[in-house]
Amino acid sequence: MISNMLRFSPSLFEGLDEVFAPSFSTVTPRRNQQPYYPQVNMGVTDKSVEIYLFAPGMNADELDVTLEKNLLSISGNREADELDDNESLSRRERFIGKFKRTIALPETVDPDKTEAIYRDGILHINVAKKEEVRPHQIKVNV
Amino acid sequence: MNMTTTKNANKEAAIQRENEVQNHNYSTQLEPEQPRVVRPVADIHETKEGATVLVDLPGVNHKSLDVNVDNDVLTIEGHVDLQTPDDLNPTFMDVRAGKFSRKFTLSAELDSSKIDAHLKDGVLKLVIPRSEKHKPRKVEVKAA
Repeated sequence: MISNMLRFSPSLFEGLDEVFAPSFSTVTPRRNQQPYYPQVNMGVTDKSVEIYLFAPGMNADELDVTLEKNLLSISGNREADELDDNESLSRRERFIGKFKRTIALPETVDPDKTEAIYRDGILHINVAKKEEVRPHQIKVNV
Repeated sequence: MNMTTTKNANKEAAIQRENEVQNHNYSTQLEPEQPRVVRPVADIHETKEGATVLVDLPGVNHKSLDVNVDNDVLTIEGHVDLQTPDDLNPTFMDVRAGKFSRKFTLSAELDSSKIDAHLKDGVLKLVIPRSEKHKPRKVEVKAA
C-alpha cells in the first residue's frame, strides 16, 4: 500500500508539471531529466569536417574554441539569469555552469583552415580537410 | 538542407518500403529509432507581475518558430534550421530530431492575450503578465 503511494506521487507531480501558476511558487525548483549541454552533431564532406554545437543562450565571445592537432575543444560558461528580488524560480531545467567538450577529428584536418560561426544558438565549426586526403579525380589515359 | 530532418525522412521512407515488401526484423539495425520531436527544456520564473518562461530552442529562428495560445494552452513549436552542405555525411549525432514542441497549461491568473515573446540566440523568452484582477494589491487601512 505504501509502496503504491510512493510510486504514485512522482507521477502526480509529473502531471502537474506542465501546469504552472504563480501560486506554485512554493514548489522547490527541480531538475528534470535533460540532455547534456551542449549537444553535438558532426559530419564530413569531401573537403571539410562540419561540427554543430547546440549551445543556445551564449555570447559568441564567451565561447572558447581551440584546435590542437586533431582535438577540437569547445568550452564556455552559461550563466544563470539574474532574478529580481521579487522573482522566484519555480522550475529550472536549463543548463547553467561551465562546460567543455573535446571532439576527436579525423587526423587529416588542416588546423589553419578553421571557421566558427555562432547563430541561433548553434556554433558551427568548419575545419578543412588536408589537401592530400580530398578525393581526387584520376584521369584515365588511353 | 537540413541534416536532421533529411536523415529521418530517409529513414522513414526506407521503413515504409520495408513494411510494404515484408515484415522486416529491425533488431539488427545499427541506430535505434529516435523520437523526431524533442521536448525543449524550460525555466519558469514567477513575479508579482506574472511569469517569465525561458525555452532552449537551438537552431530555431524567427521564421521557423510558432507560439500559439488556444484558450489556456500555450504551444511552442520550432524547426531546427541547420544549413548544412548538400554532400554532408553525418558521422556523429546527439540531436536527431528536427523539431521542438512543448505545451504548457496557463493558470487563469495569467493574461494569455498579452504575452510578449523574444527569440535570441536560440532561447525563447516569454513574458506573461498576471491579469489585472489577480495582481497583488495593498489594501489601505484607514485610521478610524
